[in-house]
Amino acid sequence: MTFNTGNAIEQLMQFIVENYMVEREEVPLEKSLIDEGIIDSFGLIEISSFLEKTFSITIQEEDLVRENFGSVYKMIDFVERKKFE
Amino acid sequence: MSQKVERCQKCILSSRFPRIEFDEQGICNYCRRAQKDDGENYIAEAKAKIEELFRDRPTGGDYDAVLCYSGGKDSTYTLQLAVEKYGLNVLAFTFDNGFLSDVALENIQRVVTTLNVDHWMFRPGGESFRNIVRAGALEEIYPAHTLTRISAVCNLCISIVNTTALKIALEKKVPYIIAGFTLGQIPLNSIMYKNNYEFLADSRRKPLARLQAAVGEDNVGRYFTLSDTLLHSVEEYPLSVNILCVEDVTESEIIAQIRQRGWIPPEDVDGCSSNCRLNTFNNHVHECTFGYNPYEMELSHLIRKRMLTREEALQKISQKSEKSLEGLYRELRLNKDDIGTMSKG
Repeated sequence: MTFNTGNAIEQLMQFIVENYMVEREEVPLEKSLIDEGIIDSFGLIEISSFLEKTFSITIQEEDLVRENFGSVYKMIDFVERKKFE
Repeated sequence: MSQKVERCQKCILSSRFPRIEFDEQGICNYCRRAQKDDGENYIAEAKAKIEELFRDRPTGGDYDAVLCYSGGKDSTYTLQLAVEKYGLNVLAFTFDNGFLSDVALENIQRVVTTLNVDHWMFRPGGESFRNIVRAGALEEIYPAHTLTRISAVCNLCISIVNTTALKIALEKKVPYIIAGFTLGQIPLNSIMYKNNYEFLADSRRKPLARLQAAVGEDNVGRYFTLSDTLLHSVEEYPLSVNILCVEDVTESEIIAQIRQRGWIPPEDVDGCSSNCRLNTFNNHVHECTFGYNPYEMELSHLIRKRMLTREEALQKISQKSEKSLEGLYRELRLNKDDIGTMSKG
């Protein structure tokens, strides 16, 4: 099984740009989307649901922590780890 | 083209809506994108999951679900669905912010009596809540990006509702929280979600810090947070389920149904609310601040789904009383000059 990190980032970025009315340049890859004021709590729920569906992973209660959702990079790292669990 | 068009010719999104672009026919980019992906598969899947979830629900507790019941048309229909369609043993919960229409309060009493559900009402201190409203209107509590489908004051009010419902569900160990949201008010993939307070608290940290600076620690602690004692006792967080989102039903069909339960439309609210007088003020502040009505996104979604006509939607956002607005300014002890004009757009 291979995981293309670049494609995964691209898919997530496209979702963020389309759903949260921001330009790509406004989305820092290494910063929290919440801290940047891009998403709220529904945004977090929406993104976790998007990751589950798009990458065919199951997110458990204990996965819902800032270390996994604190930035675009962290989310994609988390998806990759889940894929190979 | 976008310079000349005031509103999308298909939905009602206006030229002030964030990131909007119009094509040669005056159709907005949001309508064009919705044509490509209408989410029908997702809704059908969610509907099947909800039916399975409630069919196999845990037994033995006092209640199956805490239902956030505002007395408006959508939450009234949602309560009816929970009781009659899904057969749930529901604890209805109303947050009375002190601005509910008298007719709405009477509707609530009639409907909970007719449906024979237990009901719990919570009303905060009047001045405490008015302080929160004033902070929502005057301060930048939430980032502008997160206010495209809701006004700041409505967001604060709903945040109190969500926190209180979660508190009740955790204290009484109720597995589900049901609300009367429609698609358009919430995103498509938020129909069902685990209400993990600690995870979601991260997104509330900055707004609550700003609110605390305006209204004090006591008010924020009491209405917007859960105690450490309660959090330490959590075995499992309840699941939030928005059952109205999977129903293919028009507004007039909803009203026809709930009228049979004794529900009467209040006349002292604006066209976008069926229970809360404060909505007129909240929408007015949002329009002054951002230049568009916070219901544009929700109503546009309903138009695209053919659940509402464009004319009906336009009528809703234009139906507001200047006299009511003036009364609300007096109740809140605010002046029109206090509200910023399109400063956060």
